[in-house]
Amino acid sequence: MTEIVKLQGLQKKFGKFQALSDVTFTVNAGEVVGFIGPNGAGKSTTIRALLGIIKRDAGDAEIFGKDVWKDSLEIHKRISYVPGDVALWGSLTGGEIIDLFIKLHGGGDKQKRDYLIKRFELDPKKKAKGYSKGNRQKVGLIAALSVDSDLYIFDEPTSGLDPLMEAVFQEEVEKIKQAGKAILLSSHILSEVERLADKVVIIRQGKIVETGTLDELRHLTRSTVTLVTKGDVAEMASVNGVHDFTQKDNQATFSADNQCMNDILKEATKLGVTKFESVPPTLEDLFMRHYEG
Amino acid sequence: MKEKFARSNTLFLQYLKRDWKKIIIWILGIGLFSAAFIPAFEEIAKGQGLIGMFETLQNPAMTAMVGPTPVEAAADYTLGAMYAHEMLLFCGLFAMIIAVLHVVGHTRKEEDLGLTELVRSFQIGRQANSLAAMAETVFINILLALFIGGVMASFGADTISAQSSFLFGASIGMAGIIGAGIALVMAQMMPTSSSATGSALGLVGLLYIIRSGTDVSNVDLTMFNPMGWTYLTYPFTENNWIPLIFALIFCVVMTVIAFTLEGGRDMGASYLPQRQGRESAKKSLLSVQGLFIKLNKGVMIGWVIAFVIMGAAYGSIYGDMQTFLESNELMKQMFAHSGFSIEESFTGTIMMVMIGLVSILPIAIVNKLFAEESRLHLSQLHATKVTRGQLYWTSIGIAIFAGLIGILFASGSLGGIAISAMGDSATMDIVDFLAAGYNFLPSLLFFTGLAALALGWAPKLGKVVYAYLGYSFMLNYFGGILDLPDAFSKTAIQSWIPQLPMEEFDAPVFITIMAISIALMVLGYLGYKRRDMIEGA
Repeated sequence: MTEIVKLQGLQKKFGKFQALSDVTFTVNAGEVVGFIGPNGAGKSTTIRALLGIIKRDAGDAEIFGKDVWKDSLEIHKRISYVPGDVALWGSLTGGEIIDLFIKLHGGGDKQKRDYLIKRFELDPKKKAKGYSKGNRQKVGLIAALSVDSDLYIFDEPTSGLDPLMEAVFQEEVEKIKQAGKAILLSSHILSEVERLADKVVIIRQGKIVETGTLDELRHLTRSTVTLVTKGDVAEMASVNGVHDFTQKDNQATFSADNQCMNDILKEATKLGVTKFESVPPTLEDLFMRHYEG
Repeated sequence: MKEKFARSNTLFLQYLKRDWKKIIIWILGIGLFSAAFIPAFEEIAKGQGLIGMFETLQNPAMTAMVGPTPVEAAADYTLGAMYAHEMLLFCGLFAMIIAVLHVVGHTRKEEDLGLTELVRSFQIGRQANSLAAMAETVFINILLALFIGGVMASFGADTISAQSSFLFGASIGMAGIIGAGIALVMAQMMPTSSSATGSALGLVGLLYIIRSGTDVSNVDLTMFNPMGWTYLTYPFTENNWIPLIFALIFCVVMTVIAFTLEGGRDMGASYLPQRQGRESAKKSLLSVQGLFIKLNKGVMIGWVIAFVIMGAAYGSIYGDMQTFLESNELMKQMFAHSGFSIEESFTGTIMMVMIGLVSILPIAIVNKLFAEESRLHLSQLHATKVTRGQLYWTSIGIAIFAGLIGILFASGSLGGIAISAMGDSATMDIVDFLAAGYNFLPSLLFFTGLAALALGWAPKLGKVVYAYLGYSFMLNYFGGILDLPDAFSKTAIQSWIPQLPMEEFDAPVFITIMAISIALMVLGYLGYKRRDMIEGA
């Protein structure tokens, strides 16, 4: 696997505020990396440092094996970027702005552009000041997807889009992923990340707190178990690895450490199981655990 | 009725409460601008001043700009006649423009923003908002009229009677109400607030241009022009209230039309369809240069027109300068330098003033790059192969280009009109004027360089360059009267440059300031290349 993005110990200060204190992760070719964290955690700052819009204070940051600050132009020839808040020139139409972005990127596929305008149902003849947030976002997405890049950076790309358009976006991302491109997807919509991402990077207060595939991360956490037994289900509360135990008649709901699952099952069978359901943690659970814990 | 206008009185009071600061600034601003120059005019009127001004304003170019006077002989040209002649049209125009902006801002703009939707969900009539906004604007203009009348009468100046003062004020207030009527109609016709504002102001501009034509050819025709009804009242001379009655009827008709149109459309709909833009970009747009030219085009054209008008206004005085200056001690002191004709002396000073104003344009263009940056417009460009150098030097290049064009139009227009005004007695040709203008190019570049330096190192200080420009402008403008110490007046960059055509061109100073300016720009680039882009962060 080719490493496309490589960050090692990235740091950035704004005045006295330490925006990034230790950001380390990689993005490989053919891989979608979900980059999640709450507002102000440093997602956009990391992305801006990657794009050479701001200059890092310390650490290594490379894209395509080149330094993101010194060789930014070389890098920019092969990347596409959609910011979280696409700000457009009110006096130009959507179509004009898309053409401009494509041209300044170094040229793109006219047919792909027209196809995407149709897919995203954008009216390209309208002046940008008349666009809603979602439509502005579409302009950014169409421009970014119309050019052929090796790395796509999306910073909350679907904010303001309706669910249908979100689905269109996800399909398009699947396509570029199949084509072996690298994608860095920062998002609040965890279901979207869950669906698209091969790997998840969680940032908190300027620091990466968790990295791994969704399966790996899940393994570290607990599943939600619903259990109905013939015997007194209350006995399960004291079993090792059972947490947040609640009971209603003979039905118990609790979260279970995945590594203790075998012991829990053994204890449960002693009581005579009539129903057993285990739901793996969603990304949202993972996320909440990192931010509430 | 109830269904349509319910609770408009509540909204009206609410709007007065919401806008009270704006209303105070509005009335004080336009009111004092319209009324408080009487002492200055008394100064001008001293000695032969009135006769000089009367002759000056007989020039058709001046009539086209400020309007006519009913006075036929210079001897009848009183202080009041001069004041109304020079001030009334412009003050009315300002009142009109402000009213247009206010009415559209509180009707169509609120519709665009979705505020109207919210307001209409309450127990409020469908058209109550328009009625309240219109009533508010009328009310403000009535206050404005009374304020102007009161202030003018309070000076107790010769020939400025109380009754005429209130006619003067009423004319300006009525101009505002006319503007409000036009704006309310356009707010119903147009699909967006910006097109409503644009078309209403466009109509006001058109009326102004038509009246400059009819004022010069046949003033009676101006009586058919709504803008004419504001200044053809001729306060302090004929005191004719009849045009105001026409204006009142016109406003009532416009308001009825507007409400009928509004009643016939859905919220957010319009009678004229939204103009469709281009589906794909023209080739000329597809580069950093193309984009930046497009972004700055409006500002550039607007300012260049202003420079031409400014040059023409100053140029038209040349014909009667002798008469005028001899009667006025203050002006004489400002412009008189021994050994040269008054025209040459005037050219040197006025050129310094004009090129100071022209310098606003390149500063604005350089500052625009930071405005674009902080509005996040450049985020996506930063992720392309566009370099920071391209962004920076394109902006600087357009700024310098705009400066060169600005000087050309300002000094060309000054020279052209001046030469035609002087007729046979012309002592200078157009080349003299252009040379005097471009002589100040280094100062313009110096301001551009300062703006560039700020852009590179401390972009938030970009606005401070305007402050320095204003400071040196004041020094130049009043320096001649105040007799300042040399070291002090040299803090204005223009003071280093000799004033053509009275003084000799100073090549070393010219080149040195140019070189410093270019060095500032290069220094700015070094900062711009390496600083963090500010994106709301």
